[in-house]
Amino acid sequence: MVVVVICLLGAMEVSSWYVAEYIMPSPLKVARAIVALATTDYTHVLITLGRLCLAMLFAMTAGIILGLVMGLFGVLRSFIKALVVIDTGIPALSWILLAVFWFKNPEVRIFFILAMILLPFYALTIYDGIRGLPRDLLDMIESFRANRTQVLRYLIIPHLVPYVLTTTKAVVGYAIRMVIFAELVASAVGVGSRMGLAQSTFRMDQVLAWTFFLIVLNISLQAIVAGIEKLGLHWRPEATVR
Amino acid sequence: MTVSAHNPGLPPIIELNSVIKEFGSYRAVDKLSFTVAKGEIVALLGRTGAGKTTVLNLIMGTLAPDSGRVMVAGFDPFRQFSALKGKLAVSFQTDRLLPWRTAVENAELGLLIQGKPKDQARTIASGWLARVNLAGAENKYTHELSGGMRQRVSLARALAVDPELVLLDESFSQLDHVTSHELRQDFCAVAREYGKTCLLVTHRLDDAIEMADRVIVLGPGGHVKLELSLREAATDETVVGRTRSQIAAALGEDTGKQQQNEREE
Ligand SMILES: Nc1ncnc2c1ncn2[C@@H]1O[C@H](COP(=O)(O)OP(=O)(O)OP(=O)(O)O)[C@@H](O)[C@H]1O
Ligand SMILES: [Mg+2]
Repeated sequence: MVVVVICLLGAMEVSSWYVAEYIMPSPLKVARAIVALATTDYTHVLITLGRLCLAMLFAMTAGIILGLVMGLFGVLRSFIKALVVIDTGIPALSWILLAVFWFKNPEVRIFFILAMILLPFYALTIYDGIRGLPRDLLDMIESFRANRTQVLRYLIIPHLVPYVLTTTKAVVGYAIRMVIFAELVASAVGVGSRMGLAQSTFRMDQVLAWTFFLIVLNISLQAIVAGIEKLGLHWRPEATVR
Repeated sequence: MTVSAHNPGLPPIIELNSVIKEFGSYRAVDKLSFTVAKGEIVALLGRTGAGKTTVLNLIMGTLAPDSGRVMVAGFDPFRQFSALKGKLAVSFQTDRLLPWRTAVENAELGLLIQGKPKDQARTIASGWLARVNLAGAENKYTHELSGGMRQRVSLARALAVDPELVLLDESFSQLDHVTSHELRQDFCAVAREYGKTCLLVTHRLDDAIEMADRVIVLGPGGHVKLELSLREAATDETVVGRTRSQIAAALGEDTGKQQQNEREE
């Protein structure tokens, strides 16, 4: 990791000697921009983070509910499944354009875009998780005459926790890229719109500084999810392949 | 074919009356009738595919008979499914423990489903874990336990709900001979001490002879082929030998030979 970072910085430094500043600024300049932005523009990072968390929480909740309904209620299954499958086929760009036409409020636009993009991931994993429910454990818990809520509480929900965590880990990076994209198009505040501004004013140092923030954000969110995973799945034996 | 109850004085806990169960056109259980009285330990023997698990599922209430009548503790286990809450517990061929729960959390599961308060359930469950020689392993997760220990947790989970009837489906077959023997001894001691009614399903002759008061041999096609009381035979070596060959014959020659090989190993 450290080696890779040093190599990248070296390459930036060397290329900055030969090309104009708006194409590749020197690392020192970027570092100064990072410090400057961190002191003056950190609210934009918080706004982006807030939007991201809100939308992810919603997508997670709604996706879990849809997945449960798909998995547990035969009547609604094919209907919801068709909706979810169609949703997965719609490109992110379509949702962004639709959101811009449908909603005026930028917060609603961004929330809508992210929710529509992230929701099917959760719905489909939960559905898969329910289909992967071990039959023998279900028979066991039913032999004790557990009612539906008890089956949900003692078997289905704990069984689904790893599925939700794995999906979250896989989706965080994608969600960050999407929130930036959505902000660039749909909002005047947030990291995405700031990056657009920096680009239009030829401040390549700021564009790279924002990129740096996003990388850090991604790494820290991944670490947080991994930490939660470690806490929540401490019962799971870690297999190591030799 | 009707088999008389072991102890006609008490109402039977399990009562099957000309039960038929078909899967498609295949008749897995054919006009099966038998009863199990309170406090009895009965072994249901049969070769693979004889319909043992199917009978157990009928008694558990997860399957409905096509015709005939199944009664457990005075209830129809399929139609009055939840009426048997706390009256019946099953220990399966595999331990079927929940991997995200510790030993004691698994053992208390049945009690929590019954609606017992948490602390009370915990106390009872730890008591049962101690009784199956697992004191000290309460807070271990299933992957930290050996196969034999897991099977013990599963027995503790079944016994903790204080059921009238314990069903065991090949619960000891997967363990090595020594562990399986130990566990059978432990289980029988506990079952007799608390006067539990047990129906144990097995394809192993030795398990049956060692544990049961009575043996019911299920022939292919799912009907009773032989029914023997073992109580008086238990002490006399020659009688044991005769009983063994009698049951082996009922199970069919192949199985008899197989059992012999198993013992010679
Ligand atoms: N759900 C089912 N659908 C169709 N056929 C079934 C089903 N369950 C069992 N059978 C058939 O019924 C017969 C009896 O099966 P069962 O599982 O009761 O046998 P078993 O005596 O428990 O055998 P084993 O000792 O191998 O466990 C078998 O021939 C099996 O193929
Ligand atoms: Mg079976």
